Amino acid sequence: MNTKLKRSYKIAPVLLCISLLFISGCWGKREVENLAPLIGIGFDLGEKPGTYLVTQQYARPKKGGSSGAEILQRTLGAEASSVREAFETVSKGAYRTPFMGSLKVIVIGEDFAKAGGFNDVLDFAQRFAEFRRSMYLVLARGRAEDILNLKLRSEHLSAIYINYIIEGGNELSTFPTVRLGHYLTVLGRQSTAPILPVVKSIKPGEGINYKAEKSGEAEELQIQGAGVLRGDRLVDFLNDDETKGYMWLENEVFNRFINTVDLEETTVKFSGQVLKSKTKYKLHTNNESKELYYQIKTSIAIDEIIGLNKQLSGTEWVKLAKEAEESFAKVIEKECEGAIKKQRELGQDFLGIGRHIEQRDPQYWKTIKDQWEEEIANFPVSLDVKVTVHHTGMSSSSATNSGGEGQD
Amino acid sequence: MERISSHQFTLLGSAVLMGTTFLPIASMVTGVAGRDSWLSVLPGFALGIPYGLMVLALMEQYPQKNLLQITEILWGKWISKIIGILYVLIMIYFGGLLLGQLGDMYESSIMPRTPIEMFYLGGLLLVLYLVKSGIEVFARFSEVLFPLIVFALVLNIGLSIPRVEQGELMPLLSQGMIPIFWGGTKIGPFVMEYILFLAGVLPFLSTNKGELLHLKRGLWKTIFLVGILNTLVVLIQISVFGPSETVNLVYGLLVLGKMVEVSKTIAGVESLFLGVWFAALVIKISAFFFAVIWGLKSIFNAKGFMCNLVVGIIFMGIALKFQKGPALKIEIGFVDNYLIFPFASVWVLTLWGMSYWKKKAGVS
Repeated sequence: MNTKLKRSYKIAPVLLCISLLFISGCWGKREVENLAPLIGIGFDLGEKPGTYLVTQQYARPKKGGSSGAEILQRTLGAEASSVREAFETVSKGAYRTPFMGSLKVIVIGEDFAKAGGFNDVLDFAQRFAEFRRSMYLVLARGRAEDILNLKLRSEHLSAIYINYIIEGGNELSTFPTVRLGHYLTVLGRQSTAPILPVVKSIKPGEGINYKAEKSGEAEELQIQGAGVLRGDRLVDFLNDDETKGYMWLENEVFNRFINTVDLEETTVKFSGQVLKSKTKYKLHTNNESKELYYQIKTSIAIDEIIGLNKQLSGTEWVKLAKEAEESFAKVIEKECEGAIKKQRELGQDFLGIGRHIEQRDPQYWKTIKDQWEEEIANFPVSLDVKVTVHHTGMSSSSATNSGGEGQD
Repeated sequence: MERISSHQFTLLGSAVLMGTTFLPIASMVTGVAGRDSWLSVLPGFALGIPYGLMVLALMEQYPQKNLLQITEILWGKWISKIIGILYVLIMIYFGGLLLGQLGDMYESSIMPRTPIEMFYLGGLLLVLYLVKSGIEVFARFSEVLFPLIVFALVLNIGLSIPRVEQGELMPLLSQGMIPIFWGGTKIGPFVMEYILFLAGVLPFLSTNKGELLHLKRGLWKTIFLVGILNTLVVLIQISVFGPSETVNLVYGLLVLGKMVEVSKTIAGVESLFLGVWFAALVIKISAFFFAVIWGLKSIFNAKGFMCNLVVGIIFMGIALKFQKGPALKIEIGFVDNYLIFPFASVWVLTLWGMSYWKKKAGVS
């Protein structure tokens, strides 16, 4: 063996020992059982001026649970003037270190949102490296603390339940899905007003009937409607129909249940589900004035027909399907018009019309962008909704009695 | 004397040119060119083609010599010594800053509690080992790791597609071509870093006719491969974050990695990407270390273990001086824009111009 090789054999173990120093575990190692996974965080106004109440919801694995996935909640709150300070306060009473990488949902309380300034608290979430921008943002009707402290009948943690509802949102397409990353991107667009979905607690009979364990207390959650922001201040809420209109115009409808029950001009009512939908927009020029033109093309399968009292022939079915297409189109138009009307009333461009104009005609946009807030109320917008009834379900006729047996 | 093949030249060059350009590039070019910044990346990198061809032309004319030795032949001993000292100072300073970036990247993202010196030391030991092993081993190291770097990048980009926001890339060219030009100028320093490495690696390349053609092809491949990859990096960041957020993010690609979720089950893959990026930085720092060693050998005939050790200590000292992230970022930008870019672009161009003129005029 030559001398060089012999020397290498002597140096190698020394180098290997030194390399042990570089294993990250030597410094700042954190055992998983010592971590408290943060699942949800809520922000409300604090009692002292300049402070906010930070509610933190942690998951705690259930000892002896029938499956490894069973978790208990540990929800703690602290009033502080910075998010870090709130974590410090809570950590003093907890034996595990908060781990932010598992955060699913940020809930912003109504009063806090109305007071404005929550971009300051979001700064921590976008700056601190443990957080991920894929977490969801929601506005709470009422206090975020109450939402996170809710004891749900399903025994889920509120934050996880909200996360489940949002992630199943594509099946409904009735509220916007806003991740922290998306919110920050929208903020960067300047002309567009951010929008957040609204979560609220539901007492028995408030839209959903159920038997609560404690009478008069809410034990269910629902996401419905949205809040429109100006900067980081909540200016108003959109109702369910207006939010649905937003979803159509933003091309965010994937699947949806839709019905024509509220249409007064028809006697036969239809319910169905949207199979696919596509919204396109164009900027039209009419006599030197511009108009944003939305075209919505939707394919719907009819699931339910109400008020049909007779058996129909084949050609009558075709005619009825045509009628259904028109009825569905009217419902979609009504939802969209509701959203456009709200945008005009608020003078806040949550539909991103300014951004659409910029995309289609950047030169024209340059001429109006400085006075866009004043232009929003009057900027012409038109709609064209085309609905195709894809099929009418598994039956070619409704359930009807034979003649004279209870039929009118 | 050690030699590297044209294939190794291509992959080593790509790894050096790529370095960790994919980390700051989106923020840098978007800050200047806005939404259309992705269009300025490839033209910016294309600057490397004429400069690379000039260096290869000089190599053809003066085989087995590096650019400092060619400078001595063309401009005399003293001018070449001044340029050589400048070359070594710039390379040693920038190499040290890159070592600092290695620590900053890890400390600010996934390992905040590990002493930053450990990253410096870990990276530096690897660099010293590569330098001791020679250019051939370094080229093989790059041959093995560069495909991994590319794979990790493509994976990061591909898995980020579900996060793309509608219409963030539109409108195209709304501000005209001028911002794209200015965006391209931000790429120039990256190219010149590569050219400065190329200036030193020349004696290790084969100069026979056939091989020279392969080297030229390798140069084109290097520029286009790195240019296209970086274009995709900028494109995905603008598509996901929008131009405004792209500018704000320090390590945008890392943030993208943190947003990756596969089937709502697999997340946290950014640590894997960071592991690969460590290799990218080690290659880049090694390239600068090699350049310093070659420069010292050409000017002072200094070489050997002690020389490597001293250079390593200087690298470490510079990294330790710039432990604060924002200050480090500003310093890297300063050296890139005001030292590397003017120095390399003027030196290579004038040297090639003089050599070309002498050849035309028949002056020996």
